[in-house]
Amino acid sequence: MSAQLAPGSISELVEAVRSTQRLIPVGGNTKPRLSKVDAARLTIAGLRGVTEYEPSEFTFTGLAGTPIAEIADALRQRGQYLPFDPMFVEAGATLGGTVASGLSGPGRFRFGGLRDFILGVRFVDGAGRLLRMGGKVVKNAAGFDLPKFFVGSLGRFGVLAEITFKVFPQRVASRTIRLVADSTETAASIAIQAASSRWEPDAIECLPDGKSVCLRLAGPADALDAISREILSSWKGEMLAETETEKVWSELQEFRWATAQGPLIKVALTPATWPSFDRGVRELNGTRIHISAGGNVAFVSLTDCTVFAKFDQELRKLGLCGLTLRGDAPLWCGARTQTKITSAVKQALDPENRFPSLAD
Amino acid sequence: MLVVPDGVISRLASLLPRERLLSHVEQLAAYESDGLTAFHSRPLAVAIPQTAEEVITLVRFCKEERLAFVARGSGTSLSGGSLPVAGGIVIALNRLNRILMVDPALRIAVVEPGVVNTQVTTAAAPHGLHFSPDPSSQTICTIGGNVAFNSGGAHCLKYGMTSNHVLGLKAVLASGEVVEWGGTSRETIGPDWCGLFGGNEGLFGIALEITLQLLQRAECFHTVLAGYRTLEQAGDAVSMIVASGLLPGAMEIMDALALEAATAAVHAEYPPGCEAVLIVELEGPRETVEIERARLDEILAGSKPVQTRPARDAEERQAIWKGRKCAFSAVGRLSPDFIVQDGVVPRRRLGEALRRIGEMSKEAGLRCANVFHAGDGNLHPLILFEGSEHGALERAEALAGRILRMCIEMGGSITGEHGIGVEKRQYLPEMFTADEIDCMKRLRAAFDPLEIANPGKVFPGGDAPALQQRGLHPLEQAGVLSRE
Amino acid sequence: MQHSIQPQKIGPLGEPMAHAVQACVHCGFCLAACPTYSELGQEMDTPRGRIILMKQVLEGNLPWESAQPHVDRCLGCLACEPACPSGVPYRDLISPFRTIAQRHFKRTAGEKLRRLLASQTIPYPKRFRLAAFAGGLAKRFRPLVPSVLRPMIDLVPSSVPTAQQLSRMNPAKGERRGRVALLAGCAQQVLDPDINAATIEVLTRNGVEVVVPAEQGCCGGLAWHTGDLQTARRFARKNLDAFQLDVDAIVTNAAGCGSAMHEYHLMLRSTEDEKRADTIRKRVIDVSVFLQRLGLREAPRGAGQPQKIAYHDACHLANAQGVRREPRQLLRGIPGVEICELADAHLCCGSAGTYNLDQPEIAASLGEKKARAVLTTGAEVLVSGNIGCLTQLRSHLAKLGSLLPVRHTMQVLRDAYR
Repeated sequence: MSAQLAPGSISELVEAVRSTQRLIPVGGNTKPRLSKVDAARLTIAGLRGVTEYEPSEFTFTGLAGTPIAEIADALRQRGQYLPFDPMFVEAGATLGGTVASGLSGPGRFRFGGLRDFILGVRFVDGAGRLLRMGGKVVKNAAGFDLPKFFVGSLGRFGVLAEITFKVFPQRVASRTIRLVADSTETAASIAIQAASSRWEPDAIECLPDGKSVCLRLAGPADALDAISREILSSWKGEMLAETETEKVWSELQEFRWATAQGPLIKVALTPATWPSFDRGVRELNGTRIHISAGGNVAFVSLTDCTVFAKFDQELRKLGLCGLTLRGDAPLWCGARTQTKITSAVKQALDPENRFPSLAD
Repeated sequence: MLVVPDGVISRLASLLPRERLLSHVEQLAAYESDGLTAFHSRPLAVAIPQTAEEVITLVRFCKEERLAFVARGSGTSLSGGSLPVAGGIVIALNRLNRILMVDPALRIAVVEPGVVNTQVTTAAAPHGLHFSPDPSSQTICTIGGNVAFNSGGAHCLKYGMTSNHVLGLKAVLASGEVVEWGGTSRETIGPDWCGLFGGNEGLFGIALEITLQLLQRAECFHTVLAGYRTLEQAGDAVSMIVASGLLPGAMEIMDALALEAATAAVHAEYPPGCEAVLIVELEGPRETVEIERARLDEILAGSKPVQTRPARDAEERQAIWKGRKCAFSAVGRLSPDFIVQDGVVPRRRLGEALRRIGEMSKEAGLRCANVFHAGDGNLHPLILFEGSEHGALERAEALAGRILRMCIEMGGSITGEHGIGVEKRQYLPEMFTADEIDCMKRLRAAFDPLEIANPGKVFPGGDAPALQQRGLHPLEQAGVLSRE
Repeated sequence: MQHSIQPQKIGPLGEPMAHAVQACVHCGFCLAACPTYSELGQEMDTPRGRIILMKQVLEGNLPWESAQPHVDRCLGCLACEPACPSGVPYRDLISPFRTIAQRHFKRTAGEKLRRLLASQTIPYPKRFRLAAFAGGLAKRFRPLVPSVLRPMIDLVPSSVPTAQQLSRMNPAKGERRGRVALLAGCAQQVLDPDINAATIEVLTRNGVEVVVPAEQGCCGGLAWHTGDLQTARRFARKNLDAFQLDVDAIVTNAAGCGSAMHEYHLMLRSTEDEKRADTIRKRVIDVSVFLQRLGLREAPRGAGQPQKIAYHDACHLANAQGVRREPRQLLRGIPGVEICELADAHLCCGSAGTYNLDQPEIAASLGEKKARAVLTTGAEVLVSGNIGCLTQLRSHLAKLGSLLPVRHTMQVLRDAYR
């Protein structure tokens, strides 16, 4: 039933799609719940390599199965980086899987997430055709913006084969400040103020302890030191040393704070709903929360699926929506609306229904 | 050829008060063109709704009647995106111009589609916020139009285009379905529907309420105008800046003709003896700008400019940008007949592209002014021609075509921000394969099964004219539509 | 844009009109500046739309009546000109077009009467004085007055100031630094003769001899802007004769008048007076510009306390003559003065010559908006350089229950000297 397809090239990929009645693409399997459906698993891990990288153009193109770690490395060597800050990098996240899951990290606060950096895709649609949408330049208005649509599409609309991204130059220096808030409301308030400040923070994160707000700044070292002093005169906290900094960000990036077995869920949030969300959810036994991107994303780790129903209820109450990344729980939770256009677009991109439905 | 249902206008008249359904000849004449002046087409009627409910009613009516419609904001599209379709109506959105909400803590604004681009920043400014996408027409173009065409501007390399600042949308699709996507969060769960809608060029439906992201206004700006003896040198300066690791908020280049036009229009002052001018803008916290500007000054000095002029205050900064933003239309002073092109080439090949454009223009016996977003390789060649001269329009269009083909050949795009519209339909097959175009058509059909939303645009073939190199299009001969 | 207008078939004004149409690239930037687009929200009532309509009429592709309502609604404020990157000289199209349209446009009997009354009284101070008196009386019987005439009596003040005789020759005080001729205006002499008195006083105090030729008359602006070419030419010629003087400049203190004199060459195009019209228009400048260029010999003392002034740019100063800086500089020269800028300053107040008589609803809407903008600034006085604006804003401020003083720039300057 779950036969493993493992193409080693794009033409093999096309063949694999055409010859399989029902399949789901899988990258590094770091977000396993997303591909836990009744369909043949097609692993894209064999499609790896940076196809085109022109630092002076701020663009790179890589095959979908390329591990993010490899891409980040190639970029680092040329003084560039991925501003959307992918997650599960050490764990083996791939470019395609990252796009399909729509998982951006803390750094997305400054310049935007995946959707703000994706430029073009080559993908195999449900009819088994290899198509290219978007382009390889940072500015392009030709054709519909299907590349953006693929961000968060969960492999339900096509298999990504190759992706082109915009990248940015790495800033000279970076500093992380950990502030201490006495309550969730204070933490949210700090986040809002930092977001509206002149400091232009790269990241604003509230750690799973619920009280520490980490601000990451990037730019020329002297400028950061001056700004850091100003921040620390506004709130209680400390600048982290390099090793501590590494640890803090790595822990968030790899979700080491989350329980290994229970459901891990991503929720779209706003700084306004953050305090009530936190209140409602923290009550549920052993739940851990990481508030990311200035209060726009919450990652929730439930101890096990028994609390899931209550969690779902909380989300509905607040009008929020969640996506389960791993663990034994339904794929979706919270408020969701059904639209006719979803099935119409699905039909357009996948007329033979090769890929699972978004609801599964 | 679109079939117009019998008596459709009289049925349409029952939906709106008389003064908001225009059908007299002089009223229709005023709506015949948008910013792409060379084309005009008379609609059956122009409907001017005032509320989202009226827009929904109109679209559903059009669907019931299989009546084509073209949504229009301020009619400033440079690709004919709001050019009416003969046998269809225009739905003018300019009266849906309310800013519904500004939330400074969340840094968002919710607006109706007829809100003018700069009005968003005006409403946000008291909170130290602004709306980033700044197309040259921003004093009049509307958010609805910006969303439909994913409008750009000068700050796209660093901050992206309109789509990157749309967090949520309520829209009526051409199928009649009303959808609400996204919301007030910066993050999406599931596929990016707002992203897909952005840039649909009016083929999917009409946006009714748009939730926009507002950005903090930078504390400090450092804007420099540098004059160069040659375009090449200006392009090289950009490469040097890019290589240094600096990420300016904007980098723009104007060539000699464009400078001449801007000087005439707004009395801009440029360093004498320059074939090109580069505008670079850094922004950020004052400590950062302090350090980065020293770096920039170093780099610019090394690029051998004729003269560099840093803006000493906000007024000087405004003046620099005013000159740049008026350039397109100002070219009308040099030659009222011109075609604005919008191609993209990989940034490092800009110099080469400009050289080739110069050569091709010479061959065609036409002048070409150049204004471009040097940071992202988006060129705007302005092809000047003498409208009264026989065959001049065709030569200009032919030159435009050659330039676009060059962009494709270089691995760029036929449009950076103006969209395909009517103007570039025939080039779509040169950028996309038949399968890819088929995929896009299917997508379109998902949103607009009856093909009533802005038909004849984007895809080649169909009712609106393709660019002709010789003679009149059959529909022009039939007098159904015409161009000047 | 491309057109098939045949200028020679139209007459001497055909060429300037065709040139204006040619220059338009249909970019739409003018929509952002146009008050009627702001009020009515439709393309036909935008400069871009009007250019298309006028073009089609001149080409013979559109009937005159079809264009009429939209051409009539144009304020002539010229806010579109500074907004136009392409440099379309809209003024070279709208007024000439109206002169040709005059015999084609249809008017009701009531409209004809109103236009006749306006053109036969306003430009003639003695007649206007009488008419104003009658109008003041008629205010009491407003419901009985035909609706087409009501805007006229609404605008007329309940009483007009006593007439002031102007000396033909006003010597400079102290050493003479210059010599100018003053256009006294027509409506201004009746509605607020003190403006001329203040102008003369400020000029003479600064060593400028002011000549007020007795043979002058109305500048012709009213006739020109409403399409009465014959009358406009008559007034223009009269002033061409009256102002054949050896002076440094011909000075105006009413924006509408200054801008009209600047168009004498257009009014008299292809006539024997074209050349001297062209010469004279280059010698006409607004009094604020003249004073700024000359430099004040004596600085005004001021009231000795801070004064918040809301300055309103009259369209025919700012757009038609490009005069924005000079009045502000003069006012700022008064110690204690703080100038407040109005929101939406680019929008006309709705006075626009006799527009407030012909298009009362739009004029009232614009007038109210402008009055509110003034009140929002919290200023103590509203200052402007045009009698039409002053009258309109006085009326609309009063409607909002405000007694805010409304003064001419020269009056404020004169008071600051005393």
